[in-house]
Amino acid sequence: MDFELTSEHLLFRESVASFVKKEHSFNRLRALKGDPWGYSRDVWKKMAELGWMGLIYPEEYGGLGLDFTFVMVLLEEFGRGLLPEPWISTVLLGGNLVLAGGTEAQKEEIIPAIVAGDLFVTVAYLEDGGRYDLNFCATSARQKNGGFSLSGRKIFVLDGCSADRFIVTARTSGDISDADGLTLFIISRGASGVEITPLKTMDGRNACILDLKDASVSESDIIGKQDDGYPLLADIIDQATAGVCAEMVGGMDASLEMTVRHLSERVQFGRPIGSFQTLQHKAADMFIQKELAASATYYAVASIDEKTEERSLAVSTAKTKCSSAYLEVTKTAMQLFGAMGFTNEADIGFFLKRAKVTEVLFGDADYHLARVATMKGY
Amino acid sequence: MNVSYSQDEQRFQEEVRKWFRENAPAEIIDQTLGGSTLDPDLQIKWHKTLFEKGWAAPEFPREMGGAGFSETEQFIFHYEYSLSGAPRPKTKFISLGMLAPILLQFGTKEQQERFIPDMISGKTVWCQGFSETEAGSDLASLKTKASLEGNEFIVNGQKTWTSMADHADWMFMLVRTDSSGKKQEGISFLLVDMKSPGITIRPIEALTDHAPFCEVFFDNVRVPRENLVGKINEGWKITGTLLEHERLDASAMGELVYAIETVRKNAAKTIFRGKPLLQDEVFRKKLAALEVDCDSLLYAFFRILSQLKIGAAPGPGSSFLKVYGGELYQRVLDLNLEAIGPYAQSWYNIEGLGNSVHQATMGWINSRSLTTWGGSSEIQRTIIATRILNLPRK
Repeated sequence: MDFELTSEHLLFRESVASFVKKEHSFNRLRALKGDPWGYSRDVWKKMAELGWMGLIYPEEYGGLGLDFTFVMVLLEEFGRGLLPEPWISTVLLGGNLVLAGGTEAQKEEIIPAIVAGDLFVTVAYLEDGGRYDLNFCATSARQKNGGFSLSGRKIFVLDGCSADRFIVTARTSGDISDADGLTLFIISRGASGVEITPLKTMDGRNACILDLKDASVSESDIIGKQDDGYPLLADIIDQATAGVCAEMVGGMDASLEMTVRHLSERVQFGRPIGSFQTLQHKAADMFIQKELAASATYYAVASIDEKTEERSLAVSTAKTKCSSAYLEVTKTAMQLFGAMGFTNEADIGFFLKRAKVTEVLFGDADYHLARVATMKGY
Repeated sequence: MNVSYSQDEQRFQEEVRKWFRENAPAEIIDQTLGGSTLDPDLQIKWHKTLFEKGWAAPEFPREMGGAGFSETEQFIFHYEYSLSGAPRPKTKFISLGMLAPILLQFGTKEQQERFIPDMISGKTVWCQGFSETEAGSDLASLKTKASLEGNEFIVNGQKTWTSMADHADWMFMLVRTDSSGKKQEGISFLLVDMKSPGITIRPIEALTDHAPFCEVFFDNVRVPRENLVGKINEGWKITGTLLEHERLDASAMGELVYAIETVRKNAAKTIFRGKPLLQDEVFRKKLAALEVDCDSLLYAFFRILSQLKIGAAPGPGSSFLKVYGGELYQRVLDLNLEAIGPYAQSWYNIEGLGNSVHQATMGWINSRSLTTWGGSSEIQRTIIATRILNLPRK
């Protein structure tokens, strides 16, 4: 048993941390507030030059072929600084899904372009009425002219405003909530019958509603097997969920650090407010929650290559813990910053907003709790 | 990162699990939830069974009568032990867990040889005399006095919350030997024979109707000078190292997992509107939430354990394990009572319902003490804030 990071992981952590410090600041988030993408293509390109898009992809597609712990390290640092670039959607969802289930032709077309920083890909699976279920899908794919015609609506497509390609779930057979009968299709942004309604998330990122109206795709646009897209999607969402947990842990850590600094510097009644026991105990609770969330996340990351059931249980455990812990930590932080924390001038508020967005991303605590209960056998 | 046990460790885990399944007597199994309600005579008997197996002192080297387990083996041992439903004898916790490490560091060779082997075999039972009525969490305010007359200390005063005092052969205690300077500076550490004239013991009945602890009165009790541990007036420093010795209490983790399994069993047996309560959408999510917290805590233990393996000390970072573990245990036992519904109000066993109702209610009451003994949760949070987060003290 070994929860320690290797020296390679630690070196990598240093380089990511210094990149975030150099290329990013909370003022950049303020500057990007009105931007439809909410991130910068320049920063993205610099990340690509460092090889981070290909972090876990095999070398034959231009990647570095590193283990999943590197993802954790990278995303913890992104989470600490709240770097808004869409690494999770493009690399961990889109590219990863192509890598896991795509044909050789699909991989060769998409992966190297992602690695170069030239292509944004995301996954569209959420629908109204299904909350977070991956199998809930009313979007239909009907066979037409040797290909398929897709119709339906996807909501909150992560980084959908800037995506060049969407991987969408559509039903080729079965009922609305069946796991069987789902097929994954790649569809381009400009294709006919594809309509994009931009959304802005609370934390300044972009998402979109994706309307498909008789959008035509060919058989070669299927990822994996027809009717059998669910296991593939579930695998990749598990990985992305573990990734977002790591990001949340980084965010909790930074929120706590910022709060402790504030408590130590802010003087009231002639004393630093951090000397008041009531406030000390709130800070201690923030620490406890952060440590538990980090531990569950480490375990999920270390289990990412395990059998499906074990991995999913570890991931759902981590996501449940992180969802509640990140919110608790940032809500407490807001309280401890007082009125100041409620302004856009203070940085701490960015974390509260991110905590809320990441809480629901890939399923909230309740959703994952139900999965935990089922996997625990009740 | 690798979070699995090695093959050897897995084999060891199976061996420990099997032994407890075969050797923990039925009369003490399931006493874990009830905690200290276990009859002291049974505790002593159980300690001896463990000794015969060579497992009474997992942390101690073999040449001293210990088991000589590695850090990971100790963790596995304590975890499996608690998971079996067998209780931890308090006798062991007080003598081997607290006093023995102190004697090894500060005791004379004579003291070590005279006392440690009998602690391991369970031959002598120890109690701990730290707490006093007026001191509480402010331990250094203690008043029980010892004055040196020739080769003897004369002890006068009163201790309280002393577990097992009515069964103990010996007590290790803190006494005031000087009250002129700072209150921490005039304290000494003494070993006292409980058969000494002048000692009166009064058991205190707890909410469980049992008397797990006592008040102990000292009236001119004579203690030979050779029973002083370390130097005179250095007792506070010696006691402080207790905290540094603090180990990962894997037993608490095992007990937590055991308690959750008990909730699950009770909720599976409880039928609500024709189906097990365990399938009730609200209940199962409450239970799953506790499992998530419990598993997260277990992984936190693993993280600290892997730090120990590379030689780092657990440090104050582990203090959250005690405070959170204790509070989580209370929440688990809250849900355990929720699982049994109307039976939650009962005190004695109900014909036909087995031991579980009594254990549930008794365990629930008993768990309330977890967040007050050994430094309350509030004290622990202050420790986290000032020693880990370095928040200002003034």
